[in-house]
Amino acid sequence: MIQKTFNAEETKVRELLKQIPDPEVEVNIVDLGLIYHIRKDDEAKTLEIDMTLSTPGCPVGDTIIQHIQNLLDINYPDFNVSVNLIWEPEWTPDFITPEGREQLY
Amino acid sequence: MQPGLSTKNAPSIWVVAPHFLVGTLVFLIATTMLAFNQDALLDYHISGPVLAIVHLLILGWITTVIFGALYQLIPVIMEVKLYSERLAYITLVSLLSGLIIMVLSFLDFRFQLTLGFEIGGSLVFNAMVLFAVNTFKSAARAEKKSIHGLFIQTSVIYLILTVLMGLFILFNLSYNVLPIPHTTLLAVHSALGLVGWFMMLIIGVASKLMPMFLIVHKTKLAWLKMAFWFLNAGIWMVMINAFFFSFNFYLNLISLAAILMGLLLFLRFNMDVFTRRLRRRLDIGMKLSVVGLSFLALSIIAFILLFFNNGAIPLPGGRMEIIFGVLLLYGFFSGLILGQTYKTLPFIIWLFHYQSMVGKAKVPMPADLYKHKLAEFHLYTFIASLVALITGLAFSIEWLVMIGILLMVITAILYSLNTIGMIFHNKKQLT
Repeated sequence: MIQKTFNAEETKVRELLKQIPDPEVEVNIVDLGLIYHIRKDDEAKTLEIDMTLSTPGCPVGDTIIQHIQNLLDINYPDFNVSVNLIWEPEWTPDFITPEGREQLY
Repeated sequence: MQPGLSTKNAPSIWVVAPHFLVGTLVFLIATTMLAFNQDALLDYHISGPVLAIVHLLILGWITTVIFGALYQLIPVIMEVKLYSERLAYITLVSLLSGLIIMVLSFLDFRFQLTLGFEIGGSLVFNAMVLFAVNTFKSAARAEKKSIHGLFIQTSVIYLILTVLMGLFILFNLSYNVLPIPHTTLLAVHSALGLVGWFMMLIIGVASKLMPMFLIVHKTKLAWLKMAFWFLNAGIWMVMINAFFFSFNFYLNLISLAAILMGLLLFLRFNMDVFTRRLRRRLDIGMKLSVVGLSFLALSIIAFILLFFNNGAIPLPGGRMEIIFGVLLLYGFFSGLILGQTYKTLPFIIWLFHYQSMVGKAKVPMPADLYKHKLAEFHLYTFIASLVALITGLAFSIEWLVMIGILLMVITAILYSLNTIGMIFHNKKQLT
C-alpha cells in the first residue's frame, strides 16, 4: 500500500523531495507519485524512503535515487538516510497527483 | 545494484556519441552531395552518384545513428547491459571504412563487381554481423521477453539478409548466377531493408518509447503482435514471389496488403498512445517524431499510387518511385531520427557530465543541453523542404526541387549545430 497521510515531519521531507524533478518529464518525483513511503525516526536517527520508477528500464532511475540521497544527506546530516527501490505496487499514471497532471499539460 | 534497475546498464558516452557524430556529418555530406546532383531526383536512372547518396543516407546516416541509439536503448528496452562495448567500436570502424570504400566505388560505378565493392561490401557485412552478435548476446541475457525485443531481434536478422542480398545483386551482375532481372532482386533488397530492417526496428523501439515518453500505460500489445506476423508474412511473400513466381502481380498484391496491414496496425497503436497520453505538451523531440510518423502515412499512400499506377498518373518514368523514396527515407526515417536524437542523446551526455552532481549543486536538465530555437527552426525547414521537394517533383518544377534540397541542407546544418554542440558540451557554460 502507498502511504496516504504524513505527519508534520514527513510532510517536511515530502516537500523537500519536490525539489527533485524527473529529468525526462521535468515534473517533480513526489507529484509523479514515485514516492511510496517516508519513515522518519527521530530517536533512531533514521530516515527511510520507499520509492519506485515509472518503468524498470528507466535510464535515469539511478540518478534520481542518488539525487534523493544527496539532498537528504545535506538536509538531515545527523540521520542515516536510506532510499529503497520497490516495484510493488507497480506504478501507474493514476499515482500522479492533480498538481503533477497540471504540470504535464 | 537494486533489482530491475537498468541505470547501471547505461553504456558509456564514448560508445553512443561517436555514432551520432559520424551520422550527423554523413547527413551533412549526403545532403550537400544531393545539392550538386539534383538531376538524381529529376531524371530517374540508377547511376553511380544516386547509389552513392542513397547508401550514404541509409548506411552512414540512418543506420549509424540507429546503431548508436540502440546501444543506449537496448538496456532500456531489454533491461540488460550491452554485451560488448568493444564490439560496438569495432562495428563502427568496420561500417565506416566499408561505407567509404563503397561510396568511392559507386562514384565510379559501371554495373559490375569491382574490388572496391568486394572489400567495402565485406566490411559493411562484417559490421552488420558484429552488430547482430552484440544484439543477440545482449538479448540472451534478458530475463523478460517482450514483443519490442522480438521486433528488434527480427529486424537484425533482416539487416543481415538485406546486406547479403545487396552483395548478391552485385555478384549476379558480374556472374549471372540466377536468371532473375536485377530490378526484381533490387525490389527484394529494398523490401528486406525498408520493411524488414528499418520498419521492424522502428516499431520495436517506438512502441516501447512512445508510451514511456507520453506516459501511457496498458498499450494495445495485441495490435503489435498482429503487425509482427503481417509484416513477416508480407516480406517472405515478396521473396518467394521474386524467386519462384517471377513477381506475379496477384501475389505481389497479397504481400503488399500484408505489409500495409502491419504498418496500419502500428499507426493505429501510435494513435491510441497519442490520444490517451497524459503528457499533452509535446517537446521538440516528440513534435519531430510525430511529423516523421505522418510522413510514414504519406509514404504508404505514395506506394499504393505507385503500385496501381500503370501510367495513369501523368508523371515522368520513375518519378513516383523518387517521391516515395523521398517521403520514406527523408520524411519518415530522417524525421524520426531528428526527433529521437533529442530524446536520447541529451540524456547520455547529461548523465556523463552531471550524474555525480545532482543534489549537491544546481545542475541543468537534459533538455537544457541543446538550443531549442535551432531545433524548432529545423522542424520548420524540414517540413518546408519536404513540401518543396514533393511539389517540385510532382509538377516537374526544377527550381522548387532545388529550394527543397537547399532547405534539406539547412536542416542538416542546424541539426548538426545542435548535435555537435551537445557532444562537445562544456559543463562550465551551464553551471
